[in-house]
Amino acid sequence: MQSVRYSAAKLATGIGLGALLAATAAFELNAQQPAAPPPAWKQGMPSSMADSKLAPHAAPMTVTPVEKITVDKLKVPKGFKVEIWAHGMPGARMMALGDKGTLFIGTRTIGKVYAVSDKAGKREHKVVAEGLKQPNGIAFKNGSLYVITIDQALRFDGIEDKLDAPQPTDISQAINLPPSNHHNWKFAAVGPDNKLYMSIGVPCNICEIDTGKYGLIRRQNLDGSNIEIVARGVRNSIGFDWHPQTKELWFTDNGRDWAGDAGPEEELNRVAANAEGAFYGFPYCHANGIPDPDIKKPNPCAGVTMPAATLGPHAAALGMRFYTGSMFPADYKNAALIARRGSWNRTKKFGYDVVLAKINGAKATITPFMTGFLDTQTDAHWGRPVDVLQMPDGALLVSDEHNGAIYRVSYSGKVAATK
Amino acid sequence: MLDCARWRRLWAYAPAVAALLWVGLDGPAQAAEVPQERLQLCGTCHGENGNSKMEKMPSLAGQPELFLANQLILFRERLRKSEAMAPFAKDLTDNDILALAAHYAKLQPEPSPEPVDAGLAARGAELARKMYCGSCHLPDYVGREQMPRLARQRIDYTIEALTAYRAGTRYGVDTTMNGVMYDVSDQDIRALAHFLASVR
Repeated sequence: MQSVRYSAAKLATGIGLGALLAATAAFELNAQQPAAPPPAWKQGMPSSMADSKLAPHAAPMTVTPVEKITVDKLKVPKGFKVEIWAHGMPGARMMALGDKGTLFIGTRTIGKVYAVSDKAGKREHKVVAEGLKQPNGIAFKNGSLYVITIDQALRFDGIEDKLDAPQPTDISQAINLPPSNHHNWKFAAVGPDNKLYMSIGVPCNICEIDTGKYGLIRRQNLDGSNIEIVARGVRNSIGFDWHPQTKELWFTDNGRDWAGDAGPEEELNRVAANAEGAFYGFPYCHANGIPDPDIKKPNPCAGVTMPAATLGPHAAALGMRFYTGSMFPADYKNAALIARRGSWNRTKKFGYDVVLAKINGAKATITPFMTGFLDTQTDAHWGRPVDVLQMPDGALLVSDEHNGAIYRVSYSGKVAATK
Repeated sequence: MLDCARWRRLWAYAPAVAALLWVGLDGPAQAAEVPQERLQLCGTCHGENGNSKMEKMPSLAGQPELFLANQLILFRERLRKSEAMAPFAKDLTDNDILALAAHYAKLQPEPSPEPVDAGLAARGAELARKMYCGSCHLPDYVGREQMPRLARQRIDYTIEALTAYRAGTRYGVDTTMNGVMYDVSDQDIRALAHFLASVR
C-alpha cells in the first residue's frame, strides 16, 4: 500500500488562504513537474488524422419534454420492463441513494446536483446545489451527501431533512484535490471500509504523468485524513463498486483517443485484495496488453495488471454497480451492470447501452442488457446512459445524461410486459 | 471589459428587461418565436441582425443553435461569468433560450468591420491548421453543435475569448478549449483572431 499526503495544505492555511487556494498551492509546492500539462487535446493525435472531424457529442443542457423521450425504443431482455422514473433534470449523471430514499444526481457542465423524492408514486425533484464546477462525484453516507467537483468537496449533513434549504460544509481543504481540470471530474463512493474513494483522472489524452498524483483511484477517511492510493496507471475511471462477496474493488476505465477506431478498448478492472496500489498501465500499456503508439518504453506491459474484461472501443464505459437484489433472475446476482455512454472518437458510433458483466473469479464476460439508445442504421443516438443504481426493491435505475431522465428497469418474468 | 459609459447604457435597459422577462414568464412557452422587444434588446450590443458593430461584443449570426443555447444557460447559471450578460440571462427559461438560439442560428453572418492585418492572418491560418482548429469547428470554421462558428467573428472578441480559455476563466461545455489554449502566446492568439475574422 502506497501512501500519499499533500501535507503542505495545513501550513498554507496557517497564513489565511482559502481552502481551495491552500489545496492548490500545496499541490504545486509538491509538484516535481510544471503544474500545467501540455495541450491535453492535441496529445497523441497523429498528423494522418488532421482532417478527422471527430469531436465529443455534447448533451443538451435544456429540459427534454417527457413526450420526446422515446423510452419505447429501449430494449431489455425478456421479462424485463423499462419506464421513465424521473425526468426534467438536464445533464443527469451519477446517482447516489440516501438512507430515506432520496435519489441524488450529479451533473457535469450544468453544475447542479438534483434530489429526487418519491411522493405517493410520483417523483419530484429539487436542485440542492448549483453553480458548481462539474459536480459529477456524489456519495452518501451516515445521513450526509458528499459532492466532489473539479475543485471543491462539499458535505451536506442531514440533507434528506433539508432538501429545501441545504447547508453545505466546504471540506475541500481536508479532502485535498489536485488542481488540474482535464479529466478531473470525479467519480466518488464510500466503500465497505467506510472510506471515501474517488478517481483522479489524467490531465491529458495521452501523456507521461506523475503516477503518485494523477491517473489513480484513491481513498481517505471521511474526515479527509490518510489518503491512500488504491490503483495507479488508471486513465479516467468514472465508475466503481465493490464485489458483494469478495469486497474487492472493481472499476471501469476509459481508453485513450486518437489511436484509431479499433481502440484501445475500455476496461473493466479488479483490484485484488492483496494487490492494492497495483498499476493498470497508463500511459504505456492499454486494454489487453496493447503498447501505446506514442509513449513508448521497453516491455511496456510488464508489471501491468490486465483487465477482467475489455468493454469495447471508445465505448465510454462509466457507471457500474454489482446487482445484489432478488427481483432480477438468479444469474444476475453478484453480476455487474455497466453503463456505456457511447463513443465520439470513432467513425461509427459504439456503446450507448448498458451491459451485464458476469464475474468468474478474476475475469468477466460481457453481454448486452439495455440497448436502443443508438440507431445503428443511421448512426444516430438519442440517449446517453451514464450510471446505474439498484433500488431497495431490486429494480435498476439508469441515468440518461442526454435527456436528463432516469429510467427504471424492473423484472416480472412476464414476457407480455416486454417490448 | 465594458467601459463605464456603455455599462451605464446597458443598465438603463434594466427595467425593460425586467418587464420583458415578466411577459416571458407569463405567456405560454413558444420555442419558435422571440418577442420583438427582446430581439431589440439583444441587438443593442450584438447588432440588430446578429452582426456586432460594438467593441468586444460577439456576433451571434449563424452560430450553431446548441452553442447559443449552451452559452445562454452557462450565463444563466453563472457558470460563464459576465457582468454584461448576467442581468439579461438570469431569468430566461429553457424555452426562451431555445427560441433565441433558433433565431440567431438562422441569421446570415457578415464580415466584421475591423481591419484585418494580412500578415497576422497568414500566420493565423498556419497556426489554425497546426492546432487542428478545423477538426471540431470544421475546415471552413462555421462551427457545429456545441462548437461555435469562428469565421467572421470579431477580432477583439475572439482575442478576449481565447485569452479567457487560456487563463481558465472561461470554460465551454467541457475543458477541451482550455487544453487547446495552454501556453499559446498573445501574439499567436492575435494571429488566430485576425485569420478567423477574415475567413469567408
